[in-house]
Amino acid sequence: MADSDNDSGGAHNGGKGSEMSPREQDRFLPIANVSRIMKKALPANAKISKDAKETVQECVSEFISFITGEASDKCQREKRKTINGDDLLWAMTTLGFEDYVEPLKGYLQRFREMEGEKTVAARDKDAPPLTNATNSAYESANYAAAAAVPGGIMMHQGHVYGSAGFHQVAGGAIKGGPAYPGPGSNAGRPR
Amino acid sequence: MQVHVYNNNAKMDQNQHVQPAQEAYGENQYQSNPVTTPTVLPTQTSDSSLSSSYPRQHPNDPQLEAMYELRQERLQQQLNNFWAKQCQEIQEATDLRTHSLPLARIKKIMKSDEDVKLVSAEAPVVFAKACEMFIMELTLRAWANVEEDQRKIIKKHDIASSISRADVFDFLIDTVPRPLENILDQQGFVGLPTSTVPTPLNDACYHNPPPQALVPGNPYGSPRIAVGMPILDQNHPGLQIHHFLTPMEPTPTPTPNPQNPSPSSDC
Repeated sequence: MADSDNDSGGAHNGGKGSEMSPREQDRFLPIANVSRIMKKALPANAKISKDAKETVQECVSEFISFITGEASDKCQREKRKTINGDDLLWAMTTLGFEDYVEPLKGYLQRFREMEGEKTVAARDKDAPPLTNATNSAYESANYAAAAAVPGGIMMHQGHVYGSAGFHQVAGGAIKGGPAYPGPGSNAGRPR
Repeated sequence: MQVHVYNNNAKMDQNQHVQPAQEAYGENQYQSNPVTTPTVLPTQTSDSSLSSSYPRQHPNDPQLEAMYELRQERLQQQLNNFWAKQCQEIQEATDLRTHSLPLARIKKIMKSDEDVKLVSAEAPVVFAKACEMFIMELTLRAWANVEEDQRKIIKKHDIASSISRADVFDFLIDTVPRPLENILDQQGFVGLPTSTVPTPLNDACYHNPPPQALVPGNPYGSPRIAVGMPILDQNHPGLQIHHFLTPMEPTPTPTPNPQNPSPSSDC
């Protein structure tokens, strides 16, 4: 799948990963995804230069760090350790992105509703097929965490901690792409 | 930490709304200094003979002012339509497991800040949607710039120009190359009332680009654009991507990928 290729290497140069170290790739979102989203905002006859796409890639990473930094400060003031969705919405309001908050509130609410359903569904199904070993281990850990948590409880502390640990391990290697379900597969992921 | 510096700057503007490309015209104090430098005046004079596209250089000209206001209204209307459409799309979305951006990568960017310890599963999901809207807003604003010049290709300076026109994007000033932005200022891309106060004039000296930056090659087809569009390496220490030259031509779209967004999940 093309997206998987982009995620796994060379995202910035259309597959020529040798020009950039794996860690540098991780600082930006894949240029193919950014390009696709930019095109959604434009008329069909518009074109986008490579340097414009790269500039937007950098701006998006800066946006994530900017909002995350503000949300993190708030969590520290309130003696909390985990940044959640509401912290991000608060930070966006504080930093002038009020227009984003209303659509995102609806999005977050629907996501939480869906997660509630998925937690129930997870008890009745095995984990869906995974595309590589690291994700398999990752999902196994999550599945175990889900099994240990009563149904409906989200954002369990231990679960998030395990998640963080996994990413630290993965950071040192070329990262496999996220697990993409096969065609027709829409199974919820166990938590 | 650098991020916190951005936060401090942004908090000064925290009561302003996003809408204000127009408000930024009169209120963006960060952009006022370059306009008052002596070197700006000759450039403004030559610009006025080349094009009447930048009415902000003639704030007393009612006709040019009206043209500017009309374009601002048009951009604001496009943005309003965009936000209304976002709310509608989210209400109608049937599959929230399909994200247009990879959650694992978003999470990694979030955790690049050492102060960030734990991130809930929903945070990258929120960012996936927020970043999509951010990209589209930036693109819409840049496209308004492209249309002004009757072009069809969005270039880097269109992104830079749209960023410099809205206060809410001040945190990106260091991400987009500063010398280019200053040159854009001198060409009147950022319209500001002319100030005769001596102090800003002195401050402006610190924002002048190095002399060699003003003698660029001509990488763009439009003579008017080429005057202020040198190809400059970015000096931002944390962003080294532009030190790699790519063999691909900048003009054509390098990834004509019609693929639909694919599912991406994390945790």
